[in-house]
Amino acid sequence: MSDPALLSLAQAREVPPNELLSACRARIELWQPRINAFIDLDPAPGFGIPLAHKDMFYRAGRISTCGSKIRRDWVAGETSAALEKLDAAGFADLGRLNMSEFAYGPTGHNEHYGDCRNPWNPDYITGGSSSGSAAAVAARLVFGALGSDTGGSVRVPAAACGVTGLKTTWGRVPGRGAMPLSPSLDTIGPLARSAEDCGLLLQAITGEGYLPGKENVRIAVSSGWIEENAHPEVAAAVLAAVKTLDKHPIEVEAPDFDALSAHCLVLMQAEASAQHAKWMRERPGDYSSAVRARLEAGYAIPASYYLEVLRLRGACLERFCSQTLGAADLYLLPAIAIRLPTREATGPKGGDEMPRLLADLSRLTRWVNYLGVPALALPCGFDSRGLPLSLQLVGRPFSEALLLAAGRAFQRATSWHERVPPG
Amino acid sequence: MTTAATIEAILAAQGIALSPGRAERLARAQQALLDASGADPLRDALAFDADPAGFLAVMQKCK
Repeated sequence: MSDPALLSLAQAREVPPNELLSACRARIELWQPRINAFIDLDPAPGFGIPLAHKDMFYRAGRISTCGSKIRRDWVAGETSAALEKLDAAGFADLGRLNMSEFAYGPTGHNEHYGDCRNPWNPDYITGGSSSGSAAAVAARLVFGALGSDTGGSVRVPAAACGVTGLKTTWGRVPGRGAMPLSPSLDTIGPLARSAEDCGLLLQAITGEGYLPGKENVRIAVSSGWIEENAHPEVAAAVLAAVKTLDKHPIEVEAPDFDALSAHCLVLMQAEASAQHAKWMRERPGDYSSAVRARLEAGYAIPASYYLEVLRLRGACLERFCSQTLGAADLYLLPAIAIRLPTREATGPKGGDEMPRLLADLSRLTRWVNYLGVPALALPCGFDSRGLPLSLQLVGRPFSEALLLAAGRAFQRATSWHERVPPG
Repeated sequence: MTTAATIEAILAAQGIALSPGRAERLARAQQALLDASGADPLRDALAFDADPAGFLAVMQKCK
């Protein structure tokens, strides 16, 4: 392969870091004007395999905007636990990646730093909130990136940009030095070119080995629900993918995604609004209108209801593990049930359909955050417009090794993850 | 039923200024959210002793 920036992370370990850095910088020069993945490049990125991260992972002495106007000039006083681990493992940090304002939006729009654009077609959204992480990995500007996932913010952009994204079990990766949105739901996870590369990054962050793991997994799926509710192109790709992993999947009744998503939103809205209360009182005009509207909603959640939803959480997790997973190892479903919308349809000038489109984007991801379980989004095809399609595997708490092994097995049998947006 | 006036009062009590014309839309959205969450049958079966922090123990049990 002539361009070392196109290698997998595992292969890149065999290439001198200065060659990797030059190759990635050349691609950034080409792609940044098209996709706006970076908020800022670091002039001294360190020496190692090039990564870059969502601009909410703090590095002492460096600005971390969190995608916001409010923190445009804010300098972090500490380095996040996750970045410390990646530094120690010999990765370089090329700069700060674009994101939705305060990680509170599913599309990748950002009125303060410009929208991040999808490398497969810049008219379409990248998904959010880890928009720059997914776009940069998809365009092969870096070998991997950290994102955060509170309601789908790793998996939605990974799916939209055709890369692999891991939402970790709640509590698995320490959140110290990462911007909080909703502490009961926040998780940190890698986006990379494959499940194997995600495993290498997670291993660097947690110090635990995730590969190789058991690859023959039992899959549970709700085919009828997918056929009825997902776009036909999404359904066809996802249901074809099931057979690659398990010739005889277990058919189960779908969880009540909408009730679980609503539980998730109750927690997310109340916690995010509490987190932002001081700024919402003192400078509400410094938020974009979309984020301000989301934050306003949280102040109307009754405290008693918030606590009731927290008390319900354990019972909901037990129900998922016993009734949905049952004898299976993993539950398979689309990462996004609809085809990807345009930036225009979901932006500030979006029409009457916009609220429904935004809700649909994370309809199949939010419920996972409420249950606290891990999930992996990985490419499983392309739609008739040439945009990526993605499946999602959901496991029991702390089953990252199993998820990554299943993802690796799927990617050994398919080549969707190897496709690169045309330059 | 959550009304626009209730929403305005709740937010005002917390010192939050609502964007113009937001209260009515917010009231509808919040009612829809609470209705969707309340539709979970587990809510009616929730044990009196269920603890908000009990989720952590269930995570370990469900590994």
